[in-house]
Amino acid sequence: MNRRQATAALAGAACGGTLRAAQFEPGRGLVGLPKQDFRPPAAGSYRLPVIQQAPSGWVLEGNRWPRRLEGYTKGALTLLSFVYTYCTDPVGCPLAYAAMLEVRDRIRQQPGLRDRARLVSLSFDPTHDTPAAMQAYGGEHARARSPRWHFITTSSIERLSPILQGFGQDAEVERDDAGRPTRAITHVLKVFLLDPAGQVREIYSAAFLMPEVIVNDMLTLALASATEAP
Amino acid sequence: MPSRKTLALLALAAAALAPAFADETCNSPYTARLIKGQEHFLHVWTLGVQGLGDGSDKLVTIDVMPGSKTFGKVVHQLSVGGRGEAHHMGFTDDRKHLWAGRLDDNKIFVFDVGTDPARPKLVRTIDDLVKKTGYVGPHTFYALPGRMLIQALSNSKDHGGVTGMAVYNNQGRYVSRHDMPVGDSAMGKGDGYGYDIAINPQKNLLLTSSFTGWTNYMMDMGKLIADAEAMKRFGGTMALWDLKAMKPQKVFQVPGAPLEIRWSLKEGDNWAISATALTSKLWLIKQDASGQWQARDVATIGDPAKIPLPVDISITADGKGLWVNTFMDGKTRYFDLSNPEAPRQTYEKVTGKQVNMVSQSWDGKRVYITSSLLANWDKKGDMDEQALRAYQWDGKALTPVFEVDFKAEKLGRAHHMKFSAKAGGASAALDAGAVRVAAR
Repeated sequence: MNRRQATAALAGAACGGTLRAAQFEPGRGLVGLPKQDFRPPAAGSYRLPVIQQAPSGWVLEGNRWPRRLEGYTKGALTLLSFVYTYCTDPVGCPLAYAAMLEVRDRIRQQPGLRDRARLVSLSFDPTHDTPAAMQAYGGEHARARSPRWHFITTSSIERLSPILQGFGQDAEVERDDAGRPTRAITHVLKVFLLDPAGQVREIYSAAFLMPEVIVNDMLTLALASATEAP
Repeated sequence: MPSRKTLALLALAAAALAPAFADETCNSPYTARLIKGQEHFLHVWTLGVQGLGDGSDKLVTIDVMPGSKTFGKVVHQLSVGGRGEAHHMGFTDDRKHLWAGRLDDNKIFVFDVGTDPARPKLVRTIDDLVKKTGYVGPHTFYALPGRMLIQALSNSKDHGGVTGMAVYNNQGRYVSRHDMPVGDSAMGKGDGYGYDIAINPQKNLLLTSSFTGWTNYMMDMGKLIADAEAMKRFGGTMALWDLKAMKPQKVFQVPGAPLEIRWSLKEGDNWAISATALTSKLWLIKQDASGQWQARDVATIGDPAKIPLPVDISITADGKGLWVNTFMDGKTRYFDLSNPEAPRQTYEKVTGKQVNMVSQSWDGKRVYITSSLLANWDKKGDMDEQALRAYQWDGKALTPVFEVDFKAEKLGRAHHMKFSAKAGGASAALDAGAVRVAAR
């Protein structure tokens, strides 16, 4: 399967089946969701310190007018990741998507989280990933509720760059041997967990991308929100 | 939208095609962009010496790419001003920045090594560690996603060895602090000391070790050895932590200052190894038959009675071998770790009058060593040679490749090393033009 075929397969495939748990290979990075060989500490028995404040910005969703990013980072427990729709790196966006999907399913089993959580997929590439393209990418998930899953983009690189910088999310366009930009955007896979005040409380890179742990962290924040100052 | 089935197929494909990454084997498992193949540059965090060059601590960059016109030469040096006991470094998770600490004045320097690794730039200096945490001596820098876990060595109250770990985000802002376990409890008897950090993500485990406080590590070594009371103030524990909760779970008694910790990198292995400086032992940390984590000494390094002072270790990527540098006798030793329960020394070579750090490439074919331990612990006079030495390892012997004399080059004392590489295939900043072209 070449890159174009892989892209088509990714874009056209329907959701279903069972995700195979793959392995973290120290020193080689990730080749799938990492193996989790432990039981997480009980939700609420540990703290998740504030790592940083989520940045401000303007984003686009569907055919809506531009909205402030804060509308997607505040007011709920938020799991946010950066993606681009034609990404075929199995340890990049598809891996983040797989984790988000499993987290979504687990959230649905948690009455205390269902209506307090949201998922956000924000595009790395505003040129290709128009609001309509992101809605198409999200498909039925973009229309589902409990929890909501927002597939958003920005109007330009100028709008996107400060958001990336504010989250500490790197992104570079790969060049081929002749120095020409390719379609690939290299980035360290990061999924951000934000509290209702829009503060980043955990960051999951590939080695940490364990859905059970992520939901446990969301429950911990939900339990703490009643006693913590915003 | 990718389906779960497609993702599974892609994961399987990736597992089959995963390249053999090359890198030093002691980075945090969260450090990305591991070097594939040959490293291009070696960065050496160097202690300034009064009267030698500009006398300042500096980051020295050496070209280590065979065939390069400047192979084996210093291609860049970046002085940071003053002398503050430059010691260890660590990459951020995206490998774009290198954090480097000073044990005396507690400053942390953040270098941009991602933009142009041949010419690192100082982009930030963090100087609030003591104010924020009360800890002194930022030693180990261990990447976590979006942040840096820093193990300190001492504290500002008494400059002894009781200390803790600090977390800063990648923007250089303080996040949290975590004291080392002290006193008797159900988890064991903690001495509160700290030194190195090593994480096993699959097990959600963090291991820490223990050294000594500011008063000792800043003291002249001859004076220290003669001070019986001071010699009692060394760490003798390792602690096992719940990484997620950042809470210690168990304290192991490991007498004689256990220093560097390395988890085996071999898939399926779940054991770590450390070396004690004062008692000259290798210690294995592993689960017993009942699943309980235990630490026990499994080998002797040289003749402990002669105090060879093992100061650094480097584990091979397959977990089958371990380099050990012993400072006092200037030897680089290789241990066969095929049976980690019974490591066996199979090779040794005198690589200097004093040797400290040892780093190897991922394929194990290249081994680099440096000379300086601490400014006041290094040997005196002619014995105080300062160098970086590069070797080839063919499985039987170390063959010298090149050497940089840090005294002749007026650089200072060569301490910690990190590898970097030019971006593979090159990449461009995410700007409007690049994405427009890329999106066609």
